[in-house]
Parts: sequence; structure tokens; C-alpha cells
Amino acid sequence: MKPEMLFIISLITVASIFDTIRELILKTAINSLKIERYTIKNIIAFILKLIANPWIYLALLFSTFSLFLWLFILTKADLNLAFSLDSMHYIFIAFASGLVLKEKMGSLRWVGTVSIVIGIVLVTLS
Amino acid sequence: MPSNKNLTFKLFLFLISTDFLETFTHYCFKRSAMPQSGFQVLNIGDALLFAKISVLSPFLWLGLLSVLLTFVIWSTILSKVDLSVAVPVASFSYVFIPLVSMIFLRETIGPLRWAGIMFILIGVVCVSLSSKEKEVSAQ
Repeated sequence: MKPEMLFIISLITVASIFDTIRELILKTAINSLKIERYTIKNIIAFILKLIANPWIYLALLFSTFSLFLWLFILTKADLNLAFSLDSMHYIFIAFASGLVLKEKMGSLRWVGTVSIVIGIVLVTLS
Repeated sequence: MPSNKNLTFKLFLFLISTDFLETFTHYCFKRSAMPQSGFQVLNIGDALLFAKISVLSPFLWLGLLSVLLTFVIWSTILSKVDLSVAVPVASFSYVFIPLVSMIFLRETIGPLRWAGIMFILIGVVCVSLSSKEKEVSAQ
């Protein structure tokens, strides 16, 4: 494997880990809020509560890291290859949801997630 | 399935709209990064220069605006659905975009891409069903 390729894979892995951390923080913060119906009033109240939550800013910080990293990756790598490697974050999210958020990851959900990753690799590399 | 609290059709449409916004975001960022292709970042100074050129691009700001909008919609979705359901189901754009390209842009889809689309569709269906299964067992 070329060192350039290894470099790109490492960068995308780091970006995927940042994305996973962001989703974990966001979901944890949101789990403490409840939105019953999608009325304009409820959504505005929900957003106001969300922006008052300090954790959200940590999540935004990780988004920013990940975005700048992507900006850099896209100047180095082919878009097809980059997106195909990015599908690894579905696996990270699945593990993180089960381990950290204690979501029930049944076998059906695992089969679905792995199937999606295979599909994305096929679509983006074809 | 309007009574299903975990993944309703409305939430599914919301998820797809975040996909479109995300595609738009990637397009904006690609446009803002294009002038710097082949840019060598060897030290902090280069990285700062890279950041400076990017910050001056209007596409970067359009992209960031799109990120904010995506963030709001995505947060609303996450308040309703498990993370391990929302994230995989959002991959539906990998199916949607090639199909739209085929129908409206007359692009052809090769056998490998069809196979990929099938894998993603099966995956999205499995994950969606798993969210319903959980709700039934919870009741």
C-alpha cells in the first residue's frame, strides 16, 4: 500500500471518529429534551433549549474539525474513494450507539448496517 | 405506518431532506477547496494559508449555512429516533441520487452499482424494521 493511500485512510478514520463523537454528544443532549409534536412553536422551543445546552457547542466543535479535515481530504483524494472509505463511520456509529447510548442493537439492525456499508462501497467505487 | 413512533414516513422524508442538504454542503466545500487542489501542507504556516484561502471563498460560507440548517433538522430527527436507526437510514441518498440521475439525466447504472443499490435498500429496510421491532417489545 502506498504511503499516500495510508495517509488518506488515516485522515478519513479520524474524520469518521470525530463524526461519531459529534453524534454521540448530540444524541445524549437531545435525549434529555422531548419534542411531542412538530408544530412551529415546539420546534422553535426545542432549538432554543438546544442552543442553551453547552454540550451542543462541543458537538459543533467536532463538526468543524471534521469539516476542515474533509476539506483537506477532498484536495488529496478522489471523491469516490473518499466516500467509499467514509462508510466505515456507519460501523463506528453502530458500536457507539450500542455501547455508549445503550440502544438495542439487534441482529436485524446489524445485518442492515453491514449491508448498507457493502452497498455504499459498491455504489461509490463502481 | 403513521402510528409508529420510531420511524414514521414523515421522519423518513426529513431524513432524505438532510441528505440533500448534505450533498449541497459537500458540493459547496468541494468548490471552495478546488482552487487549492495539489496544495502542499508541510507546516503550520501552510495550514494557516490554506484556512485563509478557504475562509475567503463564498462557497465555504454557503456550505456552513447549509451545515447549520442540516444541524437543526437532524437534531429534530434525533429527538424521535435511535441514533443507530437514523444514521443508517440516512444512507438512502446513495440509492436516491443514482436513481434520480438515471430517470432525469438519462445516466446509465452499471451492474455493480445496481448491486450496491440493492444492498443499501435491503439494509435500510432491515434497520427500519428493527426500529419497529423494538417498539413492539417495549409496549
